Amino acid sequence: MPLLATKYFGAVSFDPADAYRFPQGLPAFELEKSFVLLDVASKRPLVFLQSAGSPDLCFLALPISVIDPEYELSISFEDLSLLELDTNRQPIIGTEVLVLALIAIQEGRAPQANLMAPLVINPQNRIGLQAIRSDSRYSFEHPVTSRSKQEELC
Amino acid sequence: MLVLRRRAGESLLIGSDVEIQFLEVSSQAVKIGIQAPKTVTILRKELFLTKLQNQAAAQGVNLTKLMDSIEEFN
Repeated sequence: MPLLATKYFGAVSFDPADAYRFPQGLPAFELEKSFVLLDVASKRPLVFLQSAGSPDLCFLALPISVIDPEYELSISFEDLSLLELDTNRQPIIGTEVLVLALIAIQEGRAPQANLMAPLVINPQNRIGLQAIRSDSRYSFEHPVTSRSKQEELC
Repeated sequence: MLVLRRRAGESLLIGSDVEIQFLEVSSQAVKIGIQAPKTVTILRKELFLTKLQNQAAAQGVNLTKLMDSIEEFN
């Protein structure tokens, strides 16, 4: 199997058929159209979205249900079409689509998850995109803290 | 923040070379037209915020420290 140069794990073997295609790239990274999801057992529930073309580009993400089990999608008609999903309804998280929140880490702050613009991947055709919501229901900088810490704060 | 009330068909000016026209108003959405010089960047705010947050998310992290802070999700 070919090797993929990764940001955090050196060279790993991968099957190019496992890559996900992001036809539009990601906002600010429009030229990055192919990513591989690295699921590293010791780092769960984190997943690593490694660019197939740029070894230095690797996003950290969490399954959205880890952050908010009640999360409700609001994917636009255009984005549903691009994903080749039924445009008349929202897909079911976990079974029909894989939904991830990108994590941003800034020194001295809790990691932040972008719940306003989740990554949505259709596992059937391996097409993904960042589905930016146009409502203001969820934050783009939702603090990610452990549940026990949240309880301490309550 | 300046708050103005405008009707469909009306417009307003920002500075001397940006014009915002209110084309259609419904209970759910407003359709606007913007005339501005090519040098003025116009972005949906949520796209702008996502770009910034993606750039922050692309920064390298210390994985050990990160895992310490979120390990209790496991």
